[in-house]
Amino acid sequence: MRRYAENDAVDYVVVGVGSAGGVLVQRLARAGFRVVGLEAGPFWDTERDWVSDEAGSHQLYWEDQRVTGGSDPLALGANNSGKGVGGGSVHWASFTPRLHPSDFETYTRDGVGVDWPLSYDDIRPYYEQLELEMPVAGPAYYPWGHPHGYAYGPHPMGGVGNALIKGCSALDIPVSIGGPVAILSGSHGDRPHCIYRGFCIQGCKVGAKASTLITHVPDAIANGAEIRDRSMAYRIELGANRRVTGVHYFADDGNAHVQRAKAVIVSGYAIETPRLLLNSACAGFENGLANTSGTVGRYLMAQAGNVVLGRFEEPVRMYKAPPAHALTEEFYETDPRNDFARGFAIQTVGPLPLAFAKQMIAAKKAWGWGLRREMMDYNHWAGFGLLGEILPWDDNRVTLAEETDRFGIPVGHVSFNLRDNDKKLIKAGKDKTMEVMWAAGATEVVQEARYAHLVGGARMGHDPSNSVVDAFGRSHDIVNLFVCDGSVLPTQGSANPGLTIQALAARTADYLVSAGDSIFTSDARDLAPPPLRTSLAPPATWGKGVPRLT
Amino acid sequence: MSHNGDELPPRQQPGYYPGFSTLAQRDTWDPATREVVLARVEATPTIQYFDPEAALFWTGVFDHLLPQSDRTPERRIPIVSVVDRRLHDDRTVGYRFTDMPPDREAYRLGREAIDAEARSAHDAAFVDLTYAQRDAVLARIHDGEPRAAQAIWARMSVHRFWQLIAGDAADAYYAHPWAWDEIGFGGPAYPRGYTRLERGEPEPWEVRERRYIWSAPAGAASDEVENVHAFHLESEQHRSHAKDASRS
Repeated sequence: MRRYAENDAVDYVVVGVGSAGGVLVQRLARAGFRVVGLEAGPFWDTERDWVSDEAGSHQLYWEDQRVTGGSDPLALGANNSGKGVGGGSVHWASFTPRLHPSDFETYTRDGVGVDWPLSYDDIRPYYEQLELEMPVAGPAYYPWGHPHGYAYGPHPMGGVGNALIKGCSALDIPVSIGGPVAILSGSHGDRPHCIYRGFCIQGCKVGAKASTLITHVPDAIANGAEIRDRSMAYRIELGANRRVTGVHYFADDGNAHVQRAKAVIVSGYAIETPRLLLNSACAGFENGLANTSGTVGRYLMAQAGNVVLGRFEEPVRMYKAPPAHALTEEFYETDPRNDFARGFAIQTVGPLPLAFAKQMIAAKKAWGWGLRREMMDYNHWAGFGLLGEILPWDDNRVTLAEETDRFGIPVGHVSFNLRDNDKKLIKAGKDKTMEVMWAAGATEVVQEARYAHLVGGARMGHDPSNSVVDAFGRSHDIVNLFVCDGSVLPTQGSANPGLTIQALAARTADYLVSAGDSIFTSDARDLAPPPLRTSLAPPATWGKGVPRLT
Repeated sequence: MSHNGDELPPRQQPGYYPGFSTLAQRDTWDPATREVVLARVEATPTIQYFDPEAALFWTGVFDHLLPQSDRTPERRIPIVSVVDRRLHDDRTVGYRFTDMPPDREAYRLGREAIDAEARSAHDAAFVDLTYAQRDAVLARIHDGEPRAAQAIWARMSVHRFWQLIAGDAADAYYAHPWAWDEIGFGGPAYPRGYTRLERGEPEPWEVRERRYIWSAPAGAASDEVENVHAFHLESEQHRSHAKDASRS
């Protein structure tokens, strides 16, 4: 791997080599830029570091302390944040639905949330690219949102998927089976097919599930990018002419370093990105870098992720097959018959014993002998996950806590509060998910209220007074500072965010490649969409025996 | 230690999967996984964080959170030493609720509060109570209705404290391969994989379920479970279902 000297001002430093950062470093390196990816966690040796074991996989998640509060506090850690090269894409279940066209204009259509500064048609080509680069397995026809199909074959069903099919079919609800999920149903290049061992969210040791660690980072390195792991960024330095000049970080040994760069892209996800910008406050940006709008850290979103569990007389053995293998988006859009705007999806989940025990503790208040007895029935339960849209609110936000991490950096404080629309939507979604579970033939149905995913915190928008970055991720305040990750999403729909995050990264990369050196030399801000570059994908990821993008 | 679990004859392996052994499959696991799982069976960590009194106290508490008197002594799964190791390493789950102190402090305060609960109800320290008395003390914490130590519970959510210690106990117990055998979980399956995905079919090396009447000891406070599905928000689900049955 190429190594850059710290004083050698590279073209781009990307902070965080996760879902977005992995795609960015790959595209930028392939286009010939000199790129360093700083990653707080390790560069995984998957055979040595990953295990088929729940308790042994905690290092995949962001375990550094954070504080979480508000009227509806979010669980963090394993629930929604990753650490190490590949980031969250290492432990995502890898459902990869697209956002719907309506998601980009919720304010215009429903008077809620906010419109995006781009439309579905702007992101659509990048959805198509990334679905082939991961690649995504799924049905040949997917009926919701903008209908489309998947080039790679869907997965066989497991017990939970069969329960979802049965419940939905009994209620005349269409259901997508075998995907869309970024897991190989057949071998592809040097990557093997899924072996259905069920440990997707503990990191796919098989290599069948897509993570940027295996889909994009190898090509980035082959094209001259440096991935500097165990490097915790803590301050972006502002130089003359309101341009950033580099990133300060702590190496694992606690020594402080600074990597000089002509431009900086922050890809730290919905908590670490705002935290880094807030911790980079300096003269001229007393409230945080790129935060003259006061929007950094605000409009943080999680999705309602209530888990509904049904007990069946016959064994299910839900630990087999990927947790993510069937879903319905039939209730995704605003329905005027509801007393709330927007909607939800229902998806399969497949909790392993530790997760299931926590769900029994929460959903049935089980403890002691009762917990032992419930757990002995583990093989009789199936799980569905609600995925419900929670709207962006300005007081759902990341701020800095008084506590510091092991490097002395103030940690993130997350505050989360549900509003009326959110509560009505969650209740309706929970009730519908339970109805489907009963219809599947369950003899007992329980649920645990919880949340899934994180987006927002540095949202994109046209208006610099109420957004942090423009439609390409460039900060309104500083021309050579970008944000590219889940934190830029203005709304979230009821789709798992991973595909959208990677698609936005590919779009930002196309923009940067088209802009060339002007990013480093000019203060002009061109907002014209760039041409789609089909030459920047990792080789052999698409165009080989699958439909070719034209 | 006075257990009243005599109704359940101790077994080497409780549960409905007689003869099933995940460890018997160890040669099919990858080396990294094998090392992690075998360490749980062969190398119980020594107590480093808790002092002897605290270790005794928490051993008593975990005897109720995950009772094992139906297991033969040599097949009981270590819990307090696993929790001790986490606290010794100061390893967290990556976040702290604003109504909770850091985990080490929560364990310190929790012990103080449970002891105060024991003294207020039975005029004795928790470790000196009978099994049934301990059950009753812990049931009040579980129900979110402690009567003593109000100053501590004003600083620490009783609901989240319960989630913390119950979750820690479950993390230790159900990470152990003997617990996988008990519940019929197939365990690690790389690189071999699973091939029977439908109808709950066992793999050739798994075991079909053979159910029998498995009952908790008479009078165990933890025998009952509730169904709190009426609470669709996480911030509400710690409420008692019985008291809020009218909510939906």
